[in-house]
Amino acid sequence: MNLVVDNQPVRMENVTDIDLRAALARWRYSSPSVIAHHGKPCCATAREWLFATDHSQLNGNHKLMGPRWLRRKYNWGPSQWPMTWCHAVEQDDLDCGALAAISREIFTARSVVCHSVQLVQQYSEDTTSHWSAKWTNHPASAHWISGGMIYHEACGVQISSSEMRIWDPSAACWVNPKQFGGYGSILALRLTLDTAGVAGPFTWGHREVPAGEWHVL
Amino acid sequence: MKIFISGLYSGTNPQPGVGIARSLRAAYPSAKLVGVEYSNRCSGIHWEDLDDVWLQPAWEHIDFDMYSRRIEDQLNEGAWWISGVDLEIMWLASAFPNGHVNLLTPPASALRKISKPAVEAHRGLPLNIPEFISTEQPDWDLHAFFREHGWKVWLKGPYYEAVRTGSWDVFERVRAILTNAWSTERLFLQAHVTGYEESVCFCAYRGEIVESVYMRKRELTGEGKTWAGEVTGVPEDFAAPLRKIVRELNWTGGAELEMVRDAEGKLWLLECNPRFPAWIHGSTITGRNLPAALIEHASQIKAKKQQALSDEFTRVVLEIPVRNEFPLPSLAEPYPGGVGHSLKHPSGTLALAERLQKLHIIEGRGNNDEDHPRKPTRSQNNGNGNGNRFTDRAERLKYSEVPTTFITDLTNIDLDSTPTPSWLFLENTATAAFERASQMATNLSTARVKVTNGYSIKTNPDERLIGLARDTGFLAEAISLSELQKALDLGFSPEQVVLNGPGKWWPDISRPGLPLHAVFSDSLNDLSYTLRSLESHAIQATVAGVRLRPPGTGSRFGISLETPEELMKLVDMIKALPRKYIFGVHFHLASSNIGVRQWWRLYESMLTWCRSIERLSQRSIECLDIGGGWFPDDWHDKSPDKLKNAIDLAHNSLPNLQEIISEPGKALAQPTMALAIRLLEVAEHKDAICDVVVDGSIAELPMHFVQPHRILHRTTTGEWQPLRRGKTRLLGRLCMEHDVVAANVELPPSVRKGDLLIVCDAGAYDRSMSYEFGRG
Repeated sequence: MNLVVDNQPVRMENVTDIDLRAALARWRYSSPSVIAHHGKPCCATAREWLFATDHSQLNGNHKLMGPRWLRRKYNWGPSQWPMTWCHAVEQDDLDCGALAAISREIFTARSVVCHSVQLVQQYSEDTTSHWSAKWTNHPASAHWISGGMIYHEACGVQISSSEMRIWDPSAACWVNPKQFGGYGSILALRLTLDTAGVAGPFTWGHREVPAGEWHVL
Repeated sequence: MKIFISGLYSGTNPQPGVGIARSLRAAYPSAKLVGVEYSNRCSGIHWEDLDDVWLQPAWEHIDFDMYSRRIEDQLNEGAWWISGVDLEIMWLASAFPNGHVNLLTPPASALRKISKPAVEAHRGLPLNIPEFISTEQPDWDLHAFFREHGWKVWLKGPYYEAVRTGSWDVFERVRAILTNAWSTERLFLQAHVTGYEESVCFCAYRGEIVESVYMRKRELTGEGKTWAGEVTGVPEDFAAPLRKIVRELNWTGGAELEMVRDAEGKLWLLECNPRFPAWIHGSTITGRNLPAALIEHASQIKAKKQQALSDEFTRVVLEIPVRNEFPLPSLAEPYPGGVGHSLKHPSGTLALAERLQKLHIIEGRGNNDEDHPRKPTRSQNNGNGNGNRFTDRAERLKYSEVPTTFITDLTNIDLDSTPTPSWLFLENTATAAFERASQMATNLSTARVKVTNGYSIKTNPDERLIGLARDTGFLAEAISLSELQKALDLGFSPEQVVLNGPGKWWPDISRPGLPLHAVFSDSLNDLSYTLRSLESHAIQATVAGVRLRPPGTGSRFGISLETPEELMKLVDMIKALPRKYIFGVHFHLASSNIGVRQWWRLYESMLTWCRSIERLSQRSIECLDIGGGWFPDDWHDKSPDKLKNAIDLAHNSLPNLQEIISEPGKALAQPTMALAIRLLEVAEHKDAICDVVVDGSIAELPMHFVQPHRILHRTTTGEWQPLRRGKTRLLGRLCMEHDVVAANVELPPSVRKGDLLIVCDAGAYDRSMSYEFGRG
């Protein structure tokens, strides 16, 4: 994969372009998380339950409403991969990749076109060190943490043929396209189009987000 | 330059005065800022940016004429006035009908066009208004509004305050409080809109917008007030029509449009405030100082430009020193057993509201003469206990409509010799209701799906009603073996009975030897027991089914589907159901409790679960039993298309569906009975009827707190007249404090001891759940 950022100067407070370049190099081959299907009734039941529950929880509201119920049901925490549907729905904790994969399927079941979004977010080492300890104490990988930055997964929800919103299922909120930098801000994102016939780019707020490559904000 | 700023209350729901002062100080370091307040309890008077405080007495003590003259003197001397209090702005509009160049508040004509809830002036903006209804409408209609909107409804005051009222008893209580507080019946109910809160704030001078900003709330207090926000410019598709409207209104001063953006992106206008919002200094922080822009535009005195410090703002709580000249007043003595001390309305806002009501300033008809209000008041002796405080209500409050069959049935009953309290069976009403339901089922049945009515025995086990159900082709729905036996005793065959509920096998009495029409299980254990009973022939049934409890219903009934494990267990048990039984699903929720729209949403959700169950179990659902708890006005006989669409939807979802059992619940039973009661004592206070003791009680009307009842009074000419809302309490005969049959009716002044009242709409759970009490 050819990282666009390789030739871009990146400037932001407290984060040097070297840090971000290093982080992107670390996650450049990371693909959006995908949950596997056993091909048996166990996974079929899990998916039926998931979609029927979402229908009940949506409760007649607009299909673009974020599935906040997922975070009430599942804590954000370490997950073990590879993961299957029957395994996923039984967990107490799910990581951002699992929550994003489930949310994408939910939006798709609602007939909403949804794409994978990978993010690099800035926090601080004071914060990420706690996450690192939690993930290290669990048979899960902490590869998603790099200093004060993290790799994160979300959903690119298409709201028109050229516009999208980004749903962060781990935080159960829509990501503000107006990014201010600093703690919790998005430094870079990669949109992967999962639906045939959809090309992009998409506007997200006032930004244009190309598909298939890391885009530095 | 001297600028007066009012609205300095700085509690958890603050007024904008302090924010305005901070913004003006940043732009005009040498201006003299004078804070105006009506109570030394308002902490904003101590804010450091105020050079002086013009403290007035509370509003109930203010001499309007003297105060307006003093304000005019200040304005004539060149001072500017920015108000942060809605009611003060209304009064100023009346006190200065021709305005004043230095008075930076909108004219009365503009205020009328932004009055809640319709906000007439919104037309042209990309905004919707959430559905609303005035509480001047009869309770019967207000209850319908609640049901329609799933009880997600706000009761709002005419100027301030909004309370989410999720049940009838809460609504009645809060309505009484707000009506009393704001001295008006002109409250309204408004449907809740789910979404994110956003605001447009602008300032204008003589119809020209000087500056405007868009604010998205990023953090809220528990009361839903702004705690943090993001400020941007106003998009042109909003700004252009807004400029036109402001010009038409000839607006002067600050203003805020409070809105909600729903998931679809639609904007809903909640209200338009005629002043700057309390977060106004948040805008200044982002480089958009609207109070300064207003003063600069009006005075032509250059303001110091504000650097944008951020695009976002947030709030903190600060402790500040108290001014020496305004030491803190003593706290009021707490009421015995009371907790805390409320600082709410310390400046007499409620009294101001009452005075403005009296002067009709709100309607724009003020004359500023409280001793000689322009509008003639209704006689103080209006039989309603209101005195002259609610002079507007008599003409406004509406009467309920009562079906003509009620009157016909009542005229057929010898009421003079009827002992009271007594249940009256409204035979024509009942017969017509069952026949309509029967006809509707026939009309809705198709070659593929048969529609049958079910009569819920528990709703009212009166033999006359069960007999009508039997004679008009209903199935009998029983929740116990006792009810099953009663149905059989009254001529139903076992094949005409549906057995369901969590206690359906109670009591331990003999069971019919012939197959029941259907048995629905309420839990996985119950399903297991039912399957064993069917196989051992302890019970026989044509349809064996389950009652489902999809997530989010809040019901205690049915098989939970909260977890994938529960779904898997259910599917395994359905797979084990012998093929000789028809498989069915039972879905009952009280639509009057959860709301009509919500019922239909849950119905669709239930069909989604049914499809999943069919796919996973490879077992077709051939029978659906739906319904429960329909309020008579919501039942499908008035709109059969809804049920027809529901049947089509069910058939499209479940292609092997053969039968739909539709159970109207109280929709049929409720109108069929009324309670006759007599007045035992009439108590008057200040020449008005305040309390009436009746020989009925909550023992006969246990649903009095769940729904309104239409009450009829027979006039001296023998006509039946519905009572409308008033201030008279109908107190029950029981020596129980909470025995208040109705807390808010208006009785004619002519009522006497022994007069008859008919409490309608009591034929469902009022009748079946009534109990013997206080009869020895």
